[in-house]
Amino acid sequence: MSAAGSLHELEKANNKDSALHALDGRVKLIILIALIVYAVYTTDLSVLALMEVYLVILLIMSHLSLKDSFVKILLILPFGGFIAVFQPFIHVGTVIYTLPFGITVTAQGLSFGVLLMSRLVVALTCIVLLSSLSPMQEVVDSFKRLGMPRDLAMIFSLFIRYLFMFYDELERIRNAQKSRNFDIFNRKTAYLWRLKQVAYTIAMMFLHAFEQGETVYFSMLSRGYSEDSEIYNANKKLASRDFIFAGVTVGVIVGLELMKYTTII
Amino acid sequence: MHIPDGFIPLWQCAIYYVILAIALYFSLRWARTNLDEKRVPLMAVLAAGIFAIMSMNVPIPWGTSGHIVGGALVALIFLAPEAAVIVFTLVLIVQGLFFGDGGLTCLGANVLNMGIIGGCVGLYTFKALHRPIGKVPAIAVASWLSIFIAAEAVAVEMWLAGTFPLVLGLEFMGLYHAVIGVIEAILTVVVILALEKLRPDLLAWNRKNKTADLKAEGSEVTSK
Repeated sequence: MSAAGSLHELEKANNKDSALHALDGRVKLIILIALIVYAVYTTDLSVLALMEVYLVILLIMSHLSLKDSFVKILLILPFGGFIAVFQPFIHVGTVIYTLPFGITVTAQGLSFGVLLMSRLVVALTCIVLLSSLSPMQEVVDSFKRLGMPRDLAMIFSLFIRYLFMFYDELERIRNAQKSRNFDIFNRKTAYLWRLKQVAYTIAMMFLHAFEQGETVYFSMLSRGYSEDSEIYNANKKLASRDFIFAGVTVGVIVGLELMKYTTII
Repeated sequence: MHIPDGFIPLWQCAIYYVILAIALYFSLRWARTNLDEKRVPLMAVLAAGIFAIMSMNVPIPWGTSGHIVGGALVALIFLAPEAAVIVFTLVLIVQGLFFGDGGLTCLGANVLNMGIIGGCVGLYTFKALHRPIGKVPAIAVASWLSIFIAAEAVAVEMWLAGTFPLVLGLEFMGLYHAVIGVIEAILTVVVILALEKLRPDLLAWNRKNKTADLKAEGSEVTSK
């Protein structure tokens, strides 16, 4: 999983100012999910390449560093990239290359591996863009406005608020352990002992989570919370820029889909 | 164990989303009937805690590192797989939306593996084994099996998706997660033992025993 530090990096990226940052949270969420769904649907590599070009244009328009964005993608890539890289060796098909120990590379496997990797890169670019454009709380609000069940929306909203607190808590525990020369990767101490220390840290975090949960409940109660409380949602109308962004992106998707049936790509 | 976007065809993703919707419906119903008003802040803060816990890297003997999944842990603490479903839905949405860890189109499949399968295997293995072999060994076996079966489920889903051959996937995922599962088992046992020692009231089985004892005492008093 991504490091705790990236949570704070995300918040920094959210604070930038651009036309795309100013878009309505719902539009950003729906459009970027639509792009991911289309990337998963398509099997055409040139369509995926053009989608990536479009996403890079959006990254530039958002004043986000292309280098930082692609470093982020590279850091996430190994999670799925590993399976894509294996495809040429495990897929049945026409053998195009034979390696030592009888390992063969097939044409079908190679093209399937490239397809998986391309889809992954496009999907991750969408995620990097979305997470850099929308603060977490804005995404939660968008989910609420889009009809997430009341209980789940409330849990989700509180979850995001306490995420940062727990990362800080974990950081404090780690610093306290470091100040006592504890290093989980230090092989000079017994492996089981190190594991036990991690388990105690987890138990402490759990306890803290429970106790914090109770405290939050009482403070919510003192502010009038009850079983039937509804979350307040300010009425927010879509602006013309939201329609333009949605229209252009949907147009790009439709255009790419139609291009498949012509000889342009 | 997080399946990324593009590795499962959309029509199969839709099936996993339907499973997620059904599981979430029953889990929220469970939360409404079995947890008191505190359920909203409790589940939220607990999910945030689990999210942070999942970011703690643990060294794995052959040189890499991994992290606790915690499906069995959550299910055992609440004695309900529904708790794991709620917690993992939230955790996986945030991981997928903000960190690219697990695909958004594969959210249903990922919750199925880590929340539903992880929680159910963990809890029901514990329930089946805690009398014959004792509580601690039962927790260890349950949490190990929850990781192992969830990993094998990933291999089956990847095979159904046409992304990875079945036997190779089962062997690969099985072997890797059989070792990861041992670490998960040790961590789950120590965490539950620590909770048992420090705040036994937080563990659902203690609350259930207490309620049963009180009911028994009450009926004795009435009969006297």
